[in-house]
Amino acid sequence: MRKVRLISLVSSISVLGLLGFAACGKKSKMIQNKGSDTMINLAQALAEEYRKVSPKVAIAVSGGGTGVGIASLQNNTVDVANASREMKAEEKANAKKTSGKDPVEHKIAYDALAIYVHKGNPLAKVTRAQLACIYGKEGTCTKWSDLGVEVPGCSGQEIVRAGRQNNSGTYAYFREWVLGEGKDFKLGSRDMSGSKDVVDLIAHTPCAIGYSGMGYKINDVRWVCLSKEDADTCVEPSLAAALSGEYKLSRPLYMITSGAPEGDIVSYINWVRSDAGQAVVERTGYAPLPPDQRHK
Amino acid sequence: MGVFATSATARRRHRTQKLAFVVLLGVTVLLILPVLAILGMLVYRGAPALSLEFLFSEPVRGMTAGGIWPAIVGTMWLVGVSLAISAPIGVLAAVYLNEYAGDTWYTRVIHLAIVNLAGVPSIVHALFGVGAFVLFFEFGTSILSASLTLAIMTLPVIIASTKESLSAVPMSFREACWNVGATRWQTIRHVVLPNSIAGILTGVILQVSRAAGETAPIIFTGAAVFVPFLPSSVNDQTMALSMHLFTLSTQVQNVPQEITYGTALVLVGLVVLINGVSIVIRSRIRRRRKW
Repeated sequence: MRKVRLISLVSSISVLGLLGFAACGKKSKMIQNKGSDTMINLAQALAEEYRKVSPKVAIAVSGGGTGVGIASLQNNTVDVANASREMKAEEKANAKKTSGKDPVEHKIAYDALAIYVHKGNPLAKVTRAQLACIYGKEGTCTKWSDLGVEVPGCSGQEIVRAGRQNNSGTYAYFREWVLGEGKDFKLGSRDMSGSKDVVDLIAHTPCAIGYSGMGYKINDVRWVCLSKEDADTCVEPSLAAALSGEYKLSRPLYMITSGAPEGDIVSYINWVRSDAGQAVVERTGYAPLPPDQRHK
Repeated sequence: MGVFATSATARRRHRTQKLAFVVLLGVTVLLILPVLAILGMLVYRGAPALSLEFLFSEPVRGMTAGGIWPAIVGTMWLVGVSLAISAPIGVLAAVYLNEYAGDTWYTRVIHLAIVNLAGVPSIVHALFGVGAFVLFFEFGTSILSASLTLAIMTLPVIIASTKESLSAVPMSFREACWNVGATRWQTIRHVVLPNSIAGILTGVILQVSRAAGETAPIIFTGAAVFVPFLPSSVNDQTMALSMHLFTLSTQVQNVPQEITYGTALVLVGLVVLINGVSIVIRSRIRRRRKW
């Protein structure tokens, strides 16, 4: 009988222990940083570097997409959401409902997208209208000959459209930039779940064209000179051109907090927006904030 | 030739039989070929990365250098906590179902539920984990949420394998025990459990290796892409080997190949090690009992 009592004692203690976990379901001391896949390498590099500045502050970085980051902010399960677009009014309202505070967007860098093709592709330049013809629902460009080029190694000369999955901020930004508000992409594109995947696909596929951040360039791909209006001279993608505003396919990246940040979080965001943080931004292949927008 | 001369038919049968043996052997070899190929490739490509420094340091320079220590520690946390939850519940549930419960409609419903739970894809467990543990119980994205999700995923298999080992103990053992006046619990404690512990442990340990390898259930519930800190409590987020491998191969540009393969090799090595331990335990316990 003593053993029975012992066992029931042990099991009730372990059940109580579990309930104890539940009771103290307090938030971790770590700064939880989640969201945009475009920003994941940047967020990771920033967290890694910030450790040298402030060794006691732990930052946990995870991805999933801008949509996931903003949804987590609305659920109040994240401290800093990474977003490659601004929040919609509806999302802000939802976030305010759960936390009682207005979300605050902190601009931390610019992401310059480039149009990527396989390195053997002779396409010299591309206009926004041509991209709409390739990607848009109403677009009729399906062959490389429609753009006036013949791509070596591409049998059938069929254009393979590479892009991102639809909860990606990059996807939303590129769609709006190319097609305008409310228009849709053509079906049948290869929707990849990461910025890197898009570039990798193009590196292996001579027929492909795609969009991804400038930070993701590798050897087997090249960038295409881009112009917004047909009459404009095209601009080669570069961080400098993105920063000066000359290169048009570039957008701000945000870290979003619920209400004005406090404590460790405000120190972190200020550091990200300072010269030291912006050096990391530049090193990772994104365009840093102009000096007058930085935190002093 | 003489007396033992075989007829043409018998010779043909013999040939057919030989042919069948060769084909069956070939199929068996085909079965282990992928395993050997995977292991061979992992060792060939991953072994150059392995070093004490790789195992015991943090990833640096955007994960393109350094080691995987936080991921190893994170995987141990996740597996340890999930096991601490699922093993006692699973074994006790199996003891109840096999030793106490009769064959009634509600035990049949429970059996059905367990079988179905075992068939639920891991990504569905993940979504359940987000809804239940992260949001409803407000554990947040943490080791606790991820481990609870893993525990629910491994529970049905632990129950099933424990039940199987319990029912492998001959009924005559129990009857002999009852007949000398022992209670049900005394019978279970002193006869049934000691005779089935090898099988129970094997089932539990095999679930450890499953929990260590899963990515889907932890990706939204507790694993982070990058945390340059070792977890200090179950409320923290953590890196994990499986998640780290996923990140290295889908998100990070310019990772030296041997780091990716080295990570895979460590994960597979860990699983093989755990399975090896379970085999040793089982054979040692078996050797002590003869029936």
